[in-house]
Amino acid sequence: MENRVCIVGIGLVESAQSIFELSHKELLFYSTRKALDDAGLERKDIGGAITSSYDFLEGRSLSNQFTLDSIGGVMKPCDLRLGEDGIYCLFAGYMEVMADPSKFVVVASVQKASERDSEGLGYQKLIAASMEPVFSRPVCNSIPNLLGLEPVLAAMEARAFMERSGLKEEQLARVAVKNFNNANSGREKSAINLKAVLESELFSWPIRQLTRAREADAACTLILASEKKVRSMAQSPVFIRGIGWCSDQSHLAFRQQGLARETKWAAHQAYKMAGIQRPDKEINLAEVSDWYAHRELMHCEVLGFCNLGEIGSCIADGVFEKEGPLPVNVSGGLLGRGNAIGTSGLTRVAQVALQIRGQANGYQVPGVEVGLAHSWSGIPTATAGVAVLSKW
Amino acid sequence: MAKKVAIVGVGMQKFEFRKEETVEEMIFDVTRNALENCHLSKEDIEAVVYGSAVDAFCGIHNSDKVAIDASGGMLRPTMRNSTSGSTAISTPILGYTHVASGLYNLVMVICFEKMSENAAAQAVFNTVYDEAFVRPIGLNVPIQCGLEARAYLHRYGLTERQMAKVSVKNRGNALSNPYAQLPMKLTVDDVLSSPYLAWPVKRLDTAPVTDGARAVVLASEDVAKELTDDPVWIKGVGRGADSVWFMGRRNYDLGRLDYAYLAAKQAYDMAGIQNPMTEIDYAEVYDPFTYKEMQHCEALGLCPEGGAGRMIDEGISFKEGALPVNASGGLQGEGNPIGAGMSRLCWCYLQIKREAGACHVPKDVNTAVTNGWGGMYQYNAVMVIGRD
Repeated sequence: MENRVCIVGIGLVESAQSIFELSHKELLFYSTRKALDDAGLERKDIGGAITSSYDFLEGRSLSNQFTLDSIGGVMKPCDLRLGEDGIYCLFAGYMEVMADPSKFVVVASVQKASERDSEGLGYQKLIAASMEPVFSRPVCNSIPNLLGLEPVLAAMEARAFMERSGLKEEQLARVAVKNFNNANSGREKSAINLKAVLESELFSWPIRQLTRAREADAACTLILASEKKVRSMAQSPVFIRGIGWCSDQSHLAFRQQGLARETKWAAHQAYKMAGIQRPDKEINLAEVSDWYAHRELMHCEVLGFCNLGEIGSCIADGVFEKEGPLPVNVSGGLLGRGNAIGTSGLTRVAQVALQIRGQANGYQVPGVEVGLAHSWSGIPTATAGVAVLSKW
Repeated sequence: MAKKVAIVGVGMQKFEFRKEETVEEMIFDVTRNALENCHLSKEDIEAVVYGSAVDAFCGIHNSDKVAIDASGGMLRPTMRNSTSGSTAISTPILGYTHVASGLYNLVMVICFEKMSENAAAQAVFNTVYDEAFVRPIGLNVPIQCGLEARAYLHRYGLTERQMAKVSVKNRGNALSNPYAQLPMKLTVDDVLSSPYLAWPVKRLDTAPVTDGARAVVLASEDVAKELTDDPVWIKGVGRGADSVWFMGRRNYDLGRLDYAYLAAKQAYDMAGIQNPMTEIDYAEVYDPFTYKEMQHCEALGLCPEGGAGRMIDEGISFKEGALPVNASGGLQGEGNPIGAGMSRLCWCYLQIKREAGACHVPKDVNTAVTNGWGGMYQYNAVMVIGRD
């Protein structure tokens, strides 16, 4: 393995509040500048640039192309992708570096939810538009108010999962409390406790206001390079040891609910590539998609962090707490930090890379050697990506 | 180092103005056709790559996700690429990196577009522009391309008559293409007397609106040699993109496509081609407008810069010419389903394999070049394929 691929620069612009003073192009410019400074590179060193974004979310066709100037991609051998979560940029970038190890490849994603009415009908219409138009989409007509579409679909799988694993609503709520506390570490204690979560507004049982991630603004840029290029660089590299991505069936109606098969298969590929046999023992820290509280548990189960059916006892033992043996979402995850749809996948990778470098200010977990980043593309897709990163 | 990648089969389908099939059925159709052509089953495919230009054309957000099952992508890695028109070639390039990186041995690449689902494709194209400065002007593809064509003709002293000859050639070539939407027997005067869309671009200089899909199967060296005795290799790939601000391009001249020259240079360097005019046997270039074929022929080095007018005047790019271009009919004759312009690559493959039927050029084809143009009128992807 002489040409392994590593992350050499990390640039992250995140905010729990809406960022009004910067456009989404500027957000991405700042994160790219940060990543270049971090890696000690300049624009002239960039050999390829990859972005991803969702057209309908941006209200713009070819939205991925539109941010080309911000990431220094002008007159570079460029490759641009779209219609996938940000973590797919990492995969595409990985393949690009493997195919041509002489390149520095910039991978980037940005999402500015504050330019939309993220609590309003817009996002629900988008979910309706992602559904297969002949058989699945008409189901939206039978929902009294389209605002309920996403919670209803999420609740279906949450209930299937709870039914199978015997989990109670309190256990889902504990995930939310953990992640809100993690997001607040180093500062005052979060006001959000179990009672607050369980009494928050009910959308569709068991989906509540505080067990569903709210939207946020973020931009994330990573710079990838082959091992050979890295020897002369200042920052210690973080190696990409395994990647895997996968999609399950298109039709919601035929899909097995509450199983997250796509994550299971994506993880299977990534583990095989990384040579990991016992993820629960070999992985020190994970950032997994917690779009909804039940999703974090579903993902932890299929990622092999516990045996099937033992997720309940893991929660009771605090396995996934910050001090536990396999901390999950110590950054606060999507529930704690907010969900920048389409970008949050890449943000997860950046958080794991920071932990491996030992640079996660305020929420560093000691001794992280191998970390896992996972992202799921959201309702109604069954698409997920997994990346295993390590120090060596 | 990059591994060798071969094309082992293509999936074709007739291009039509309005297809009755859904997106899912269209994709199923070409997937099955491609699998049959290379004697594989969907279980053999390890990963699927989709390409479709703009979601708003078919009105489905993440339009590839509705066709996961139809393409055999269920519980497999699937990825979708989108760079507008250049999706046609940038998607197979993404498929190429899947195999060249050593991660996969057999990859299905599917490009599709269903344009007839929307009421006005040009209204959709308006939404690619900056919402504050450009969108309100009402700019769309013919207007932008009118500006570009004017700058190009002016810069090199070319004429509308030369543009018209490209239309006559391509629509005539399409008469022998069974998948073509718009084969026509035209004269130069027919083209010149068709109405202007945006001066100097006329209706018959413009490719039609089309529904369609194409599939290509890519394989690693070992697998390709198992499947065929005569593999067609991907020898060079290149991409180039200029600023998305068309008023802020490096050279301040819409007439010269710096990014296309950049993309072609990469692809030729990789393929070890020094003189494309003699080393390339056949070309399928991206021709949504007739002047685009001329610009791309120059950028790909198939004629000297500014020499595209002479190339068509002297019949060099005719089917029987020294360097045939778009013998399948190109987008002008075959139809222009934006992302599924990957048909250009399919025809290069068919010409090399001598499977192009009546579209065959009367000479041996060993090396062919193809390109896709798009993005926000600033992105070009080039691919060189051929025998060893």
